[in-house]
Amino acid sequence: MSNVINASHITLAYDNGEKEIIKDASFSIKKGEFVFITGPSGSGKSTLLKALYGALKPTEGSLVVGGLDLASVGQSKLQELRTHLGIIFQDYKLVNEWTVAKNVVLPLMIAGYSVDVQNTQAQRLLKHVKLSEHADKYPLELSGGEQQRVGVARALSKNPVVILADEPTGNLDDYSSNVIWDLMENACQQLDTTVLVVTHKIPTIFSLPYRHFIIESKGVYEVH
Amino acid sequence: MKFIKNHLMFILPLMAILLGIEFYLVFDRTTNSYEKGLKEGYSMLVVTNKPMELSVFKALNRHISNAQKIKRESIVSEIAKGVSKSSSKEILASLPYFYNVGLDSYLSTSGLNKIKADLEADKNIKKVETFGSSYSSSYRLFSFIKFTLKLFIVFMGVVSLFLIIKQMEIWKYAHKERMQVMEIFGAPLMLRSGVLFKVAIADAFIATLLTSAIFLYVKFQWAANSGIDVMMENQEELFRLSDIAILLSSALLIVVIAVYSVVFSSKGVEE
Ligand SMILES: Nc1ncnc2c1ncn2[C@@H]1O[C@H](COP(=O)(O)OP(=O)(O)OP(=O)(O)O)[C@@H](O)[C@H]1O
Ligand SMILES: [Mg+2]
Repeated sequence: MSNVINASHITLAYDNGEKEIIKDASFSIKKGEFVFITGPSGSGKSTLLKALYGALKPTEGSLVVGGLDLASVGQSKLQELRTHLGIIFQDYKLVNEWTVAKNVVLPLMIAGYSVDVQNTQAQRLLKHVKLSEHADKYPLELSGGEQQRVGVARALSKNPVVILADEPTGNLDDYSSNVIWDLMENACQQLDTTVLVVTHKIPTIFSLPYRHFIIESKGVYEVH
Repeated sequence: MKFIKNHLMFILPLMAILLGIEFYLVFDRTTNSYEKGLKEGYSMLVVTNKPMELSVFKALNRHISNAQKIKRESIVSEIAKGVSKSSSKEILASLPYFYNVGLDSYLSTSGLNKIKADLEADKNIKKVETFGSSYSSSYRLFSFIKFTLKLFIVFMGVVSLFLIIKQMEIWKYAHKERMQVMEIFGAPLMLRSGVLFKVAIADAFIATLLTSAIFLYVKFQWAANSGIDVMMENQEELFRLSDIAILLSSALLIVVIAVYSVVFSSKGVEE
């Protein structure tokens, strides 16, 4: 099966290449695989995800996602690629002047779905993440854990090809965490979605086979 | 409250620019007719030894647009009152010819002196009389007013542009988060900046409307009742319907440039 993500000897750095976070890392991920990424705080997990959605270009090596070389991709191709990604941010990145429901359907709005479709999807998704009664509230009226679940619902709303999740359960209790893990497992199992999850705690109850990467001292290593 | 303030901070400087543009248009139009009036009211008196055609005057200086012969008979009849017919004929024969010479444009004093010198160089021309002093002072005052007004308009425009940019930065800050999130999810530029465009274009229309309203008021209410001659004579020039188009397109242009500057400077997900 083809690789959805292929990283070959990539170096990721900030400050014009002066501050190297990841150096000479190589890995590939196939379609439908479920990957956990762990590592110490500040090791570069969020940085790696940033590179995967094209917001940080590798300074060396090649990083191919969905067939596009992110080191050289143009704006419009990158835009197109991003509409197939479901990104969950560590800091949620919700639009505070939009209602919860509107936040959730942002990917559908970008794809040009009708308002009717958006509304039905919003209801369905919010029910999944147990936030139905908060649909018309604004993000800042929600708790941190609730905002995080809005972010999860948004990432799943258009059935993405790849989910890139940064600590999606970081603020959640065990019950809510399990709700999230279930959603991701379902996506992976039923829709063959590729899932990459950064987490500090791999769930103990997990029914799917998965791979586990550790980021440490600038390297990306797989645990077997 | 914050919403209104946000818009006023954008609409007011935009209006200042539009008022400046409209002032400029009106000033240009009204002073054109004023200039024309001055020009038509101004002429030189030229005394010649023999009759001269307009083309001859024109050949001497191209700014001369007309030459009107002053009837010598009327001059003679004035000075020769009570003198016999034959001697009045003699007076007429010895009398030079007089012309009122008109110019084609409003000239500076040095321009006038040049014409005078050109004319006096002709051996048939005995004397050229200009009304230099009053002409020159009104011309200087006129150019001074014209200059200061233009300077003021430009100054106001620059200050207003700065205010608009300042306000744009506030908008940029307010919209940055949303535009970045939308960008990460693959929204095209137009969708990302759609709200900004809508708001800014609405403001452009409002500013145009208010500016037009002010000038329409000046034209139909104030100018008509002001008792100021120049205003009443030039009432038609004060505001034309076509000005609305000029103002609106200026406003839209400014707004589009401003929005694009915001949109493009908030690119990039990382800070
Ligand atoms: N925009 C940036 N500019 C410069 N340095 C950055 C930037 N973002 C992150 N860093 C640095 O890169 C390193 C890795 O950051 P990153 O956010 O990827 O860590 P992380 O593994 O996600 O940590 P955590 O588990 O705490 O979320 C850190 O040292 C951080 O200070
Ligand atoms: Mg992180």
